[in-house]
Amino acid sequence: MYKTLFPLVLIGTAFAATAETGQPLDISALPEPGSIDASDALAAWDRIHDVASHPRCLNCHVGEDGIPLWGTVAQPDRPHGMAIVAGDSRIGAAGWSCRTCHQTSTRPNRVEHAAPHTGMDWQLAPVDFQWVGRTSAEICQQMRDPDRNGGRDAAGLVEHILHDAELIGFITWSFDPGAGRAPAPGSLQSHLEDMAIWTAAGMPCPQ
Amino acid sequence: MDITVNGTLHSLDLPDDTPLLWALRDGLGITGVKYGCGIAQCGACTVHIDGQAVRSCQVALGDTWGDVTTIEGLSAPDALHPVQQAWIAHQVAQCGYCQSGQIMQAVDLLSLNPTPTDEDIDQVMSGNLCRCATYPRIRAAIHTAASMMREA
Ligand code: FES
Ligand code: FES
Repeated sequence: MYKTLFPLVLIGTAFAATAETGQPLDISALPEPGSIDASDALAAWDRIHDVASHPRCLNCHVGEDGIPLWGTVAQPDRPHGMAIVAGDSRIGAAGWSCRTCHQTSTRPNRVEHAAPHTGMDWQLAPVDFQWVGRTSAEICQQMRDPDRNGGRDAAGLVEHILHDAELIGFITWSFDPGAGRAPAPGSLQSHLEDMAIWTAAGMPCPQ
Repeated sequence: MDITVNGTLHSLDLPDDTPLLWALRDGLGITGVKYGCGIAQCGACTVHIDGQAVRSCQVALGDTWGDVTTIEGLSAPDALHPVQQAWIAHQVAQCGYCQSGQIMQAVDLLSLNPTPTDEDIDQVMSGNLCRCATYPRIRAAIHTAASMMREA
């Protein structure tokens, strides 16, 4: 569908940073603002929501209790073992930090059941970005609100994914989480395209 | 690969993805640090990097971001760290296998929280397993060490 909507017109090659897999992100054919109709944009939102509501993402998008999850698709609400509380700092600064086990490293996650790592310091998402227990409409409203999404406008949301790919951060990792972990649905490329489609249409939300 | 452990700079000829745990034990013969699981589930391999407790089984040698301290370098034999003194006073160890990791984690806990409650201790020490179930003595020794450090 994507290619039908936006035929590749390459004005120079636009590739963003590579992920762990070595696959570059293709940004050459992302849509222009206003070029998308509402139903395509809402379909893109549904796919974004499929990602955001997957345990790979939800596990760290928890609420004020600061307790990360070890959720799986079969059992999404399983709390993190070891009585972990990341606290207000969202990194466990008051007791034992996430970094005790989760390293900051772009190396592949090869060891099953080990503490995963990314190129960003391990942390919970800010409490404003709570997705656990939220509906698709609620997550959508949060994601489009600069007061609750880290001050990002439409371009900023797309840039957020590109920046994450450069760092091999959490979004990138979620699609390639390594041994023994279910990845978020789709790929980083499809997620980038969906975000570009949704934002190009003015970030419409389901009711 | 150069790495500073217990104040001494070492050059190690090991692949840079070697877990720090094995670089310490097999590369340098520093065996106070123990292997229990290799997957961040037990805490036996806890060392400090720049003073922060970390599971050495999770750190690639090439990612080691600072100076490493193991139980061997925590103090001098004639001037034990207050946590070690409290461990002796409470006779915490049973088989001892988990204890270097317990002590390294407890030292980090007290550096962040000099007056921990039972709840604070249980929360932070929950990642350090003890098959001999010395947990009540660990908790008591941490309280004793905390008061020794406050009085010092
Ligand atoms: S050996 Fe590292 S946590 Fe168990
Ligand atoms: S003293 Fe035996 S495992 Fe802790």
